[in-house]
Amino acid sequence: MLDLRLTRAARPAVQLRRLLVAAASAGTGFLLLSCLGYALHHPGAAGAGALRLAWCAVPVTATVYLALAVARTDPGTRPRPGLSALGLGPARLTAISCLATALATTLGSLLALLLFLRLRGELPGMRSAGARAAFLAVGEPLPLPATLTLLAVVPAVATAAVAVALRPRDPRPVRRPQRRYLPFGRSGAPVRADGTVPAPGHPEGAPAAPGGTADPEPAPAATLAERAVLPGLPWAVALLAAGLTAHAYAGRTPPAHAPTFATLPGEAGTILLGWALTAVGLVLAAPGLTHLCGRLLQCARPGALRLLAGRILMTEAARIGRPLGVVCAVFAAGYAMTTLYDAPARAFGPLSALGALVVAGCAVATLLTSAVQARQGRAETTDALLRLGAPTTVLRGAAALRAFALLVLFTPLTLAVAALAALPLTR
Amino acid sequence: MEAPPDNDVLWARSLHFTHPDGSPGLSGVSLAVREGEILAVSGPRGSGKTTLLRCLSGLVPVREGEVWFNSTPLHTLGPAHRERLRRDRFCWIGPEPGLVPELNAWENAALPLMLRGTSRRRAKTTALEWLERLDVGEIARKRPHRLRQAERQRVSIARALAPAPTVLFADEPTAPLHRADRGHVLRTLTSAARSHGITVLLATHDPETAALADRTVNLLDGRPVRTVHLPEVPDAEGRAACSISV
Repeated sequence: MLDLRLTRAARPAVQLRRLLVAAASAGTGFLLLSCLGYALHHPGAAGAGALRLAWCAVPVTATVYLALAVARTDPGTRPRPGLSALGLGPARLTAISCLATALATTLGSLLALLLFLRLRGELPGMRSAGARAAFLAVGEPLPLPATLTLLAVVPAVATAAVAVALRPRDPRPVRRPQRRYLPFGRSGAPVRADGTVPAPGHPEGAPAAPGGTADPEPAPAATLAERAVLPGLPWAVALLAAGLTAHAYAGRTPPAHAPTFATLPGEAGTILLGWALTAVGLVLAAPGLTHLCGRLLQCARPGALRLLAGRILMTEAARIGRPLGVVCAVFAAGYAMTTLYDAPARAFGPLSALGALVVAGCAVATLLTSAVQARQGRAETTDALLRLGAPTTVLRGAAALRAFALLVLFTPLTLAVAALAALPLTR
Repeated sequence: MEAPPDNDVLWARSLHFTHPDGSPGLSGVSLAVREGEILAVSGPRGSGKTTLLRCLSGLVPVREGEVWFNSTPLHTLGPAHRERLRRDRFCWIGPEPGLVPELNAWENAALPLMLRGTSRRRAKTTALEWLERLDVGEIARKRPHRLRQAERQRVSIARALAPAPTVLFADEPTAPLHRADRGHVLRTLTSAARSHGITVLLATHDPETAALADRTVNLLDGRPVRTVHLPEVPDAEGRAACSISV
């Protein structure tokens, strides 16, 4: 009961994010149900039905990703020092997150079921008008176990993902390598970071030498993530190149007809592999690119505005970069499939459009939710800056500058990836 | 309305404040701060010290009563004007250092100067000078998370002193520190303020800290009092009652 009450008494912005999750879940549930309808209508074509079901993995993943981002942002599930003594500890808060996610996604699934039944004309008092699409399987009885199984997919996967991602964990002690070199671009010789042995001749009682003491508290996660984003960049670029190569390989033999979502030609496997590699490469490359973007923004004698914008971008690279990479991958794929490929219109029916809408909407909503999360994480620093009398125009200007820099970097990247991926097929 | 006398840099008259949730904050505080003095605002926790400092520095709007700064009526200014005043004339040190985690120590100390439009080179020189003066010059290139709490608090003090403010508001600046660090940080703060003629309002609940100030204003439940005389707490109240009832 307490969980439900905490879930209900949230601010409108939080409820809006949960509604977004519900909407995404509804779209995905409808797509899954229409796969079932297609299979019922064409009992002989098992392969095509399975292929449609396999395509649904993309919207399911996007929905779960969004639900995870929303659960991370939920202010009701943040650790509260005072309430831990009352029993609202980390484990209970995880349970509340799971419950909120399960509620939102189940609501979406129910909406999808209602819509599906309404279109089939099975609800009392409503006869569906208009054309009977094949995916509705009007006239065939809807098998209850299959329907429930399909509708339970999104809530179950999303709740499990939230439970795993937000499970209570003790902060692990930071394990550092014995010798650590400063990141590229900083001045200085190799720094010994363990520092357990004081320097010879170090006077007792005096303040310890810089770098000579272990940190009293572990470094914040953002700083550690910042160190982790740059080494991933070469791998990401390699994956991206491999994906584009796969496209080129598939494009050696021109396809007999344009690939559609339901009837894939023989070389489509290579194309799909190419897109998967490209997408993973983009997602992995985006944090590093965001970090570099921030570094470029704050280089060369920056003033307060560029300094704040660049450094914050460098710190938030891991948090903002991943969803940004997903958005880039989704839009590159969408752009290539809708405009760059030959005869793109045949691929798009109403269901494909709904799937594309769900995936693109989830990607964008996840990016915005991550931006909200980053903003929440910086609330204390913003307060301190405002106490100093920092003008709000500087803070807003820094935020706008960050958004602009990311846009300048990632728009051409997306377009270039889409063009390169489509190039072999459009020759 | 009548402007305050010339030698008072900050001046409050019958200041009343109620928090947005209705809890009482200040009830009828009048005080005058002379130029260059260190005024301690003392009192137990919850007596309204922080609220008084927030009112005087223009962080919260004053609805009842008057606050003047150098013949500028703070109680009539809008948020934008108060923000500019805070940036150009005031500085604030809180119990938490409140450093920007992305910037290193000297960039943190130089940030207020850069926000005022000082060139980067001059801001850096001034910030490094102040860090040297506060004995944290060697950590100027470290990020805040690699510093100890006392060092962070010193960087925060350097950040407050670097732009040479007219009034420095220090709200329990030594609360999270051990006694040795506390004395050291306070002495550097007061000596720097005295040598540069900076007026300091120091909120503290610690009589030892208040002893470093020129003058002390005692607050109790949102009112200024001459001496704090709380009734003695009998040490075994409950035990005696129990023994009688049984």
